[in-house]
Amino acid sequence: MGPASISAAASAPPRAPPGFALSLALLIAFAALALLSGWAGDYVLELGFRLLVLMTLAEAWNLLAGYGGLVSLGTASFVGLGAYALVGAMNRGVPLALAWAAAGIAAALLALLVSRAVFRLRGLYFTVGTLALAEALRLFMVNYQPFGGAIGLFLSPDAPSLRGLFLLALGLFAVATLLMQLATDSRYSILLRAVRDDEDAAAQIGVRPFRIKLLAFVVASLLMGLAGALQGLKLGAVEPYGMFGLQWTVNVLAIVVIGGQGQRLAALIGALFVVSLGEVLAAYPALHLAITGVILILVIRFAPQGLAGWVVLLWRRLHHGSQR
Amino acid sequence: MDLLGLADNLISGVLLGGILALAALGLSIALGVMRLVNLAHGEILVGGAYLGFYLLSITGLDPLLALPLIGLLMALLVYPLHRLLLAPLGAQGPEAPMMTMFGVSIILQNAMLLLFSADTRSIDRPYAATPLQIGALSVPLIYALGFAISVVLIIAVHLLITRTRFGREMRASAADPRAAAAHGVNVRGIHALSFALGAGCAAMGGTLIGIAFSFSPSSGASYLLSGFAIVVLGGLGNIFATLVAGVALGLLQSLGGALFGDGYRELVGLLLFLLVLAVRPQGLLAGRGA
Repeated sequence: MGPASISAAASAPPRAPPGFALSLALLIAFAALALLSGWAGDYVLELGFRLLVLMTLAEAWNLLAGYGGLVSLGTASFVGLGAYALVGAMNRGVPLALAWAAAGIAAALLALLVSRAVFRLRGLYFTVGTLALAEALRLFMVNYQPFGGAIGLFLSPDAPSLRGLFLLALGLFAVATLLMQLATDSRYSILLRAVRDDEDAAAQIGVRPFRIKLLAFVVASLLMGLAGALQGLKLGAVEPYGMFGLQWTVNVLAIVVIGGQGQRLAALIGALFVVSLGEVLAAYPALHLAITGVILILVIRFAPQGLAGWVVLLWRRLHHGSQR
Repeated sequence: MDLLGLADNLISGVLLGGILALAALGLSIALGVMRLVNLAHGEILVGGAYLGFYLLSITGLDPLLALPLIGLLMALLVYPLHRLLLAPLGAQGPEAPMMTMFGVSIILQNAMLLLFSADTRSIDRPYAATPLQIGALSVPLIYALGFAISVVLIIAVHLLITRTRFGREMRASAADPRAAAAHGVNVRGIHALSFALGAGCAAMGGTLIGIAFSFSPSSGASYLLSGFAIVVLGGLGNIFATLVAGVALGLLQSLGGALFGDGYRELVGLLLFLLVLAVRPQGLLAGRGA
């Protein structure tokens, strides 16, 4: 066993059930909520939709950063592209289902297109490259008139009702959870972690790092495109400052880092935390962001495994305690 | 556009590129010496512009004369950041310090928003609007002044790194921190000082940019990215390559603006950056050596 495999084993999330069982339980709870949503008020549906979109994005980002070591600051590019693709396609008469799929595929293709640039140098350059991509796309959209320039595009067909949107978001999150389950509990997850922990050692034993990373990047981007498309559908209008804004990137990064990178529960716990914080400080957006920054720094320093790390630790302690 | 106008435009681009190179120097030092992707670089730069702005409005001190003071102030302000936030992360790999600086960037940007409001400002000086006539050509005087000051400061940093004990220890820490430590270099101290030096350069560049252009708390990201474009273009470890890369970027931005319209200026730099990453990530101008 080389040092790479040892560190991969050491940093692997516990195989114990809390991750899967809890995300499944959560899904069932959400499904129940969806069925009950006939009684749920608009506020609950709004909040639920936001939570589901952010959790989907967080699952995707966690696949990249937590499991693959690819810290992306380009979330906004794929969210924005997905939203624009959906609105553009539906305005040309494409039915919703097809337009939604096209949005996801467009985001995945963008990932494929830029992969050569962002993977060329390792680690930190991926971060800067994805940030440059997001900024470049935003500037392009602001200036390029055929896509509406700074004003953006309006969705001409009618969007589904809030309840319909909530159900779509629920379906998307279910797909994201399933994909994450496949990606984190399979041979692929071991390869991805091996590449994250030591690319050279992984390459030596016959893993192709570029392909492994590319698959994670494309899958994550697909999910981000689909989530962005839903957001565009809900807003009924897309404009470059909002859809390609750094806000998406900051929120999603904060959710996963606070939740716990590489932890299956990160998206759920982090999203609940960040969205609640946002609700409490809704009247003070600048203060909210500054506090998010402080929490980020504290979590990175004192709890690198995030809140989910604490929960898993607690669960294990309780479990061991009950056995004795 | 007439030819003379284009020439003015391109020369402005070259001069502006020199200022951008000074602003990028801090990024290059942090990356080269401590492998730190300083995502708060843009906010430190904008902070320098605000320092110049308030120094002028409160004390009446001309920001160009006060430039060394601004650099020193910013260096003193960020020095504890390294000691408190970055140094303790030592063993956690390169992502933790980078994300910590991302947190710092969010905090600084929003703190500036709360303190100084979202209003766009510029440092109002008579030489900011005066044109400089050279024969038939005309460029803004501040561009020429800023370029000259930037080149002097870049040479000063070059001398600091190549001719002094601090510079020698800094190069040693960059090349091999363990070997340097074994030879009695206080690597952690050198890192903190390099970080402060980089921030000082960024703040001085920011003040120059603040005189030439308007700025707001959210201006940082675009300067962070133009800084990275310069660092990637010039490669690490050679300060003059950074200067050349800055000039090249300024020139290309002006060319892009002239060809496609002003809105596309920055886009040209970003596309160039992604292209260089795809084609020759070790830097276009860097030699074979590290």
